[in-house]
Amino acid sequence: MSDSLQHLDGTQLDTKEWVLEAETEYRFELDPGSSLAIKLAHGQAEVFGAELAEGKTYLFGAECKAAVFTWQGCTLEISRPSTEYVSEETPMAAYANVHIAFEQMRVRALRILHGSPASDDDPNANAEPPRVLVLGPENSGKTTVCKILTNYAVRAGQNWSPTLVNVDPSEGGWAVPGAISAAPIRSPIATASPANPLGSAATSAPTALSSNALIPLSYWYGHAETKKNPLLLDRLIRNLGENIGERDDNDPEGRVSGVIVDTPSSFASSSGTAPDNRHTLIKACVDAFRINVILVVGHEKLNVEMQRLFGSRFTVVKIPKSGGVVELDHSYRERVRNYQLHTYMYGQKIDPPPDVTSAMVGGEADIDLILSPSSCIIKFGELAIYRIGAESLAPSSALPIGAARTLSEMQPVLVDPASSSSGLLNSILALLAPFNPDESERYDEEILDLNVIGFLVVTNIDAPHRKMTILAPNQGSLAGKTALLGSFDWQE
Amino acid sequence: MKLPAFYLLDAMSKNVYEPYARHFAPFVLGLFLETYQQVDQATRSKMEEMLLTWRTASPTGKELFGVIQQLAIERGIWGSDSNSTGGVSGQISKAQVLSELEFTLSQKERALQANAWDTTAQKHVQILQQLRKLVEAGVSQDELRQILSQLRSLSQSPQPATAAAPSYPASSTPSVNSYQYPAQPSYPRQAAQSIFPPPVPQPPPSTTYTSYPLPSNNQPKAEPVDPASLLSSVKSTGAPPTDIAGLYSALLKAGIVHATGTPAGAGAATASEDTAIASSMSSENLSRDAARAYRKSVLSQNIKLTNVDITKKRPNINHLLYDRLPAQCKQCGVRFTDDTLGKKEMEDHLDMHFRQNRKASQNIGRGHSRSWFVDLQDWVHGGRVDVKGKGRADGPRSTNNKATLAAEAAQRDAELRTQFIVVPPGDEAKPISCPICKETLKTEFLEDDEEWVWKNAVRKDDKIYHATCHAEAMSSMHTLATRLRQDMSSRSRSGTPDSLRATPPKSMPVIRPSLSPSPDSKRATLKRKANDDDYNVPSSVKVESNGTPPMKKLALAA
Repeated sequence: MSDSLQHLDGTQLDTKEWVLEAETEYRFELDPGSSLAIKLAHGQAEVFGAELAEGKTYLFGAECKAAVFTWQGCTLEISRPSTEYVSEETPMAAYANVHIAFEQMRVRALRILHGSPASDDDPNANAEPPRVLVLGPENSGKTTVCKILTNYAVRAGQNWSPTLVNVDPSEGGWAVPGAISAAPIRSPIATASPANPLGSAATSAPTALSSNALIPLSYWYGHAETKKNPLLLDRLIRNLGENIGERDDNDPEGRVSGVIVDTPSSFASSSGTAPDNRHTLIKACVDAFRINVILVVGHEKLNVEMQRLFGSRFTVVKIPKSGGVVELDHSYRERVRNYQLHTYMYGQKIDPPPDVTSAMVGGEADIDLILSPSSCIIKFGELAIYRIGAESLAPSSALPIGAARTLSEMQPVLVDPASSSSGLLNSILALLAPFNPDESERYDEEILDLNVIGFLVVTNIDAPHRKMTILAPNQGSLAGKTALLGSFDWQE
Repeated sequence: MKLPAFYLLDAMSKNVYEPYARHFAPFVLGLFLETYQQVDQATRSKMEEMLLTWRTASPTGKELFGVIQQLAIERGIWGSDSNSTGGVSGQISKAQVLSELEFTLSQKERALQANAWDTTAQKHVQILQQLRKLVEAGVSQDELRQILSQLRSLSQSPQPATAAAPSYPASSTPSVNSYQYPAQPSYPRQAAQSIFPPPVPQPPPSTTYTSYPLPSNNQPKAEPVDPASLLSSVKSTGAPPTDIAGLYSALLKAGIVHATGTPAGAGAATASEDTAIASSMSSENLSRDAARAYRKSVLSQNIKLTNVDITKKRPNINHLLYDRLPAQCKQCGVRFTDDTLGKKEMEDHLDMHFRQNRKASQNIGRGHSRSWFVDLQDWVHGGRVDVKGKGRADGPRSTNNKATLAAEAAQRDAELRTQFIVVPPGDEAKPISCPICKETLKTEFLEDDEEWVWKNAVRKDDKIYHATCHAEAMSSMHTLATRLRQDMSSRSRSGTPDSLRATPPKSMPVIRPSLSPSPDSKRATLKRKANDDDYNVPSSVKVESNGTPPMKKLALAA
């Protein structure tokens, strides 16, 4: 099946041809610093639900671990193979069935919206659009399931624009780790690197695929672990849900496409977090996004648990987990966070394998994905930086008798950049949208409910001159002049 | 460069009239003809259009610069055009008739756009289009004269809709290539075989025109047609072509007029808009049908959202994702159906790729950066910016920009309006008018300060202006000064270098509406001004909506 070509100068041209049978997938895992080019020679193939165009070369990098699946069979030309194999056992048929079931919900919801006659339909069927919560333990492929289901929906040619929601703060969606966000998806999400698994937020560069210019709504949680501040996460999830609801009210046709929510694995794992916390957050999601389907990816016990909790209200379905899912260790996740931040600021650059000349990265010509952030020096006073909740609380017993604790988990605390213990250097800041211009509409904890408009990194602090250097994604003004600190650092 | 200067002259003369028109009159003939010789075709046609508006542009409805100048210019342009059929000087040339025809046609088309259900306008447009074909094919001098007189009476009929017509679609930049002529109507042949009723010369439906009157020397020369043979061919339908009404009825009888349901000869922009209006119903039906068909095929798949169904059934996903969508974009792999709707969507999609590639190639070497995420309100109200969805390369951003620009303009306007001047004691009853818009300033009693003030007022050089008027005038001052300087230099040195050549098409949307009968539009402006005191219309929007170039206000002030 493989044929290595001998170059004139003696170097090996690592091009392999793979012929895939129907309903099989080619899986690969890249090592740090290597890249992979895949060309669909003929047939039909898709990467996590996004179809590949025949004859185009697609690049993958940054330790990407992905799979090319084919429903009908195809031939792939692959340069620079890494860890790779072909699998005949995929859960794709099940995922496709789920997709079809969701499509039925969408077309019914649309029919109700248009008021068309119900002649061709079961009158008892659920006419709500699918609003799906995807739960599963670590390394079960939740994000991939969300991506496939979203991609299939936008590929239906019905102008669906499902809202993809990421409430996994360790992943960050289209923003950076520490954020939770939502974005309407209109074109298939391509896969090229783990830095932007769900497509990419808008840049000033022109893009061919709208999934590379997404408009997310983002809130800053600031930590990777959900247990760090579950109250805050709960509140942010509800904010997100409320705004999606408002958007749906403005756009009934968009509402019909439904919502797909990707969750952190801590929602599923019974170890570590107390079940109360977990259930509170799952309930927050169910309420906020008006969930009517829960998909549990490959976890029997969780499925039973969810059945018990929600089975009387709506559908809970278990779906199989893909055998291609890779166990990801801590250091890998750490590296992916770095890729993500780097990609947020500097865009995406994947060096093609030596013998590949023109290729696409995530469905775009690769030249335009490089971004230039802006580094600038600002006075301390030009940016108010807050931390939500106190970093460490003194035990209540240490407080004077009769004094109540003044700091709560939800209280914004102003950070003094001049203080050496501020921990600001190299930290990631979430720049917030401006406060409500109407003074009378302001309230105490408004800062908790402001969405994020971008991210900054403090690269230097000059305490004597009360100045600091920040790296911003663009040269625009720091709109709200208020930023939140989390627990993420980044150094180039 | 020359065209805007002319438009300035045009605007000043029409809107202020006295004394500018009087001063311009002596040299307008020379200037117009000289410029006409130098400029390119597109500019010429614009100038012709403008010239036609001058006929009735004076406040009394007479020629703007007097009948003598008007006739002289017209003769200079069309009379000397000896290439065209029957272009003997003193006679009516085909080019002139065509030009006027185009003018009237575009007027009617605009009226039609403003009111799509105006059947009279629709009929007029169709007739005019047919007439244009006839004239292009060549008609006799007599007929030309009749057509002309008929046209003039038609174009002078009141057209309330025109003034309010929406600004011209931006896509209407003239593309000369798209000006194609339908196959030569086969009149001579008909004449030869006149025993048969003449076949209906249906224009090929694909034919597109720009809506600009192109002067005749740019047209592919009509094959020499003997007008007499045409006459006889028209005669063979039984109606004597001696009067224009007869000609119309002949057209009607020949089945030309009613047979073409969609006006194929409409201007490219107009046609697309017309068909958009006309086919909006049918395309909606199409998409409804498609949605219905899709619903049927989805619902026919018997899958329930249960563990058993999900894992045990064989999905017929190939049909939904592949077979049903056989047309695929070679660039990015997105699929479409191969029915009419799908073809349309795929076309739009490919256009998007084209635009995006072009933009990318223009952007080479220019740095990009990550944008800030949008405001919450923008996100919530974002809706579906592009219904077609696939690849909104610049959609969301540009609308945001527009939104922010509009918001900024509104804010600036609001700020200006809050400015006031305290009325000097004793002057409360004295009416004071803004030197720019000639409106009286409103006095108002401020309860807090217990003083009478002029609202929306600013004092400059001991004169009191509307703050909004003044700001607007100041902002257009700079550009205007540059224009005037260029205008002067081009006038003083006749052999103007090409660097002053115009690139006029871009200015279309603003300038078009000045074609409307001037007294009306002036009144409209004043009325609008009065309304402004009630709403906070952002000044930029205001200017666009009544179609008056910003320079006009300054001209009023000068």
